[in-house]
Amino acid sequence: MTLLHTQAPVAPAAAPLRRGRLRRGGPARTSPLILAFVLVPLLVESVSVFWPAIQGVYISLTNWNGVDAPSFAGLGNYSRMLHDPVFLKALGNTAIWLLLFGGLSAAGGLGCAMFLQRERRGIAVYRAVLFLPVVFSLTATALMWQTLYQPTGMANGLLSAIGLGGWQHAWLANPNTALYAQILPALWREIGYVMVLYLAGLKGIDPALYEAAKMDGASAWQQFRHVTLPQLRGVNAVVVSVIIIDSLRSFDVVWSLTQGGPFNSSQLLSTYMYQTAFVNTDFGYGCALAVAIFVLAFGVIVSYLVRAFKESD
Amino acid sequence: MSSHTISRRGLLAGAGAIGAGLALSGCATTTSRAGSAQQGGAITLQSDLSSPLAEKAMQALVAAYNKQSKYTVNLNTVAATTYQPLLPTYLTSANPPDIYTWYAGHDAAHYASKGLLLDVGGAWSTMGNYQPALKALSTDATGKKIFVPTDYYWWGVFYRKSQFAKWGLSEPKTWSDFLNACATIKSKGVTPIGLGAGTGNAWVAAAWFDYFDIRLNGADFHRALLQGQHSFTDRRVVDVFTTWKQVLPYFDPNGTAVTWQEASNQLLQGQTAMLLTGTFFADAVPKGSIDDLDFFKFPVIDPSVPDAEEAPTDGLFASSKTHNAAAVLDFMTWMATPAAQNLWTATSSGTVIPANPQATAPSTPLVQKGKAMLDAADQLTQFFNRDSSDALQNTANTALINFIQNPGQLTSILSTWQSQAEQVWKTA
Repeated sequence: MTLLHTQAPVAPAAAPLRRGRLRRGGPARTSPLILAFVLVPLLVESVSVFWPAIQGVYISLTNWNGVDAPSFAGLGNYSRMLHDPVFLKALGNTAIWLLLFGGLSAAGGLGCAMFLQRERRGIAVYRAVLFLPVVFSLTATALMWQTLYQPTGMANGLLSAIGLGGWQHAWLANPNTALYAQILPALWREIGYVMVLYLAGLKGIDPALYEAAKMDGASAWQQFRHVTLPQLRGVNAVVVSVIIIDSLRSFDVVWSLTQGGPFNSSQLLSTYMYQTAFVNTDFGYGCALAVAIFVLAFGVIVSYLVRAFKESD
Repeated sequence: MSSHTISRRGLLAGAGAIGAGLALSGCATTTSRAGSAQQGGAITLQSDLSSPLAEKAMQALVAAYNKQSKYTVNLNTVAATTYQPLLPTYLTSANPPDIYTWYAGHDAAHYASKGLLLDVGGAWSTMGNYQPALKALSTDATGKKIFVPTDYYWWGVFYRKSQFAKWGLSEPKTWSDFLNACATIKSKGVTPIGLGAGTGNAWVAAAWFDYFDIRLNGADFHRALLQGQHSFTDRRVVDVFTTWKQVLPYFDPNGTAVTWQEASNQLLQGQTAMLLTGTFFADAVPKGSIDDLDFFKFPVIDPSVPDAEEAPTDGLFASSKTHNAAAVLDFMTWMATPAAQNLWTATSSGTVIPANPQATAPSTPLVQKGKAMLDAADQLTQFFNRDSSDALQNTANTALINFIQNPGQLTSILSTWQSQAEQVWKTA
């Protein structure tokens, strides 16, 4: 039977018959090899991912400074969150980040992909240039942007050169601009990545659909709205997941540029969690923040996927 | 605050290591002494001095020790950013590393109160010549010695001699002298005071808070405040900020936007005239410019308050669970000797003072002046985070940068600071 199992897919002629037989055989006859393929990764995953995650949830229910034994605190850390102005600020900033960073990188990525999808001479150079920021370490990228944002840096220099000297800011030190000034480097990187995902999606659309649309007299916008967008639905699910995950963990830019400052004005959930757990060594509250981030990320992604699948049914 | 401490320590150590590494490479290459006695087993020195040069210097130091001792020390260098959050884990583990590079102050006292630190009184029996202030710093609440200092540095208001000469200024001694100097400098079209508390360097502003507090209210009040025995809404804390407001107009308006590296460049280029900073900044100063640099001690505001200075001290402590306390004490005793401290500090760029008074401190005029200032001080404080915790430093960063940008909102800033600090003291 083991033999049949492994042979079934490579013998297409006999496939219908054998598949029928296999199904009747039921799961009880699963090969030990397949079991091993499932169980070994599960074990590794359990030890390295699930167990620490469960422990993290447990620690979030305690007060623990890393030195004394953790003391059980029930939901104390979670109720502390509700009254913590820094947490609420970080939550709001994360939402702004998600919308602005997510929206603009999806739109920008799709725009760049549409623009660069047709094969022209030298197009690869443009694609490569847009994708290049993805290759750099974000921490190194951030340091470069830091010099641009210096009070005497290029950003302000450019503004005064074009007669907008009044718009000059200490971009990273001003609580009104710090968050937005940091979304820009993150976008600069993400757009190239999203562009590549969309380019792959666009390549997969059957040109005959456009032919047919053109025959029916569809305008360029109608082609985009009624052919391109519906055809990209599969890629959209990936892009949305990637963007949500990336924005919830967009830690490196903010940590290397402002560490959430000035006075917590650019604090994100991820930076606040890091600061609480690893700088303040308040591991209980830090873990509670991590659980909150997880629930948010998971909730947003699952609800999106559920909707996406419902639509495609 | 982790990165602040680390960058300061790292920078110091890094620059010190350039020369030390060279000077000690001889020792490093001759350490493979065959058949050296290893009674009691090797011990581990856990070090956060992870910049390549500092690590090399530490290796040379350990090699020099191993060469002359019957015990063996193994150096284990951990990336500085990982070290700080992991330190509690190391100390509470069942089989912890034996010796740790760290600093004196609140952290050490905190671990000692949990019984995690070894009594190093044995090493201190050879350290009778150390300054009383360093002795007090290394003693925990029960009178036990828990720390062996190896080196320290100082903070001061740095300026360029040529600039001051040009403006006809001498070093301000009192608060009114200082205000007059600021006014004179401003009239010459130069920003009087640089800051450098921007982009992740907010901790720099805490130096101003520390100095105002120890000049106005004294070091004892300052420490008690940082331990939660007074409120940040206390009238005496308000005094700190009202005095600060007198000089705020002389601060660089971009002080909260530039890094301290940038701020020290501004000082060297003459864009700003004075900078309250620790000596670590001088490591990056070109050799030619350093001769023009001088400093004066933070001006006295109330002559009736006993004199105190900031002197962040680095050194070693050990785990109480070590399996070879004899070896630990032997190494600590060796690290306290002038010979070992000379190895570490003599070749630095001239900004670290060895803790042992008999060690030959770098003989540059700057270091001699700094050492004299600290020797004359009635008390030594560490720095905001070292006297409290990195968690409290975060609350200070928020409050101080907010104050510098919005001095009019002082009342609400202080009450927010107090409520955040209470949370920190509660969870500590």
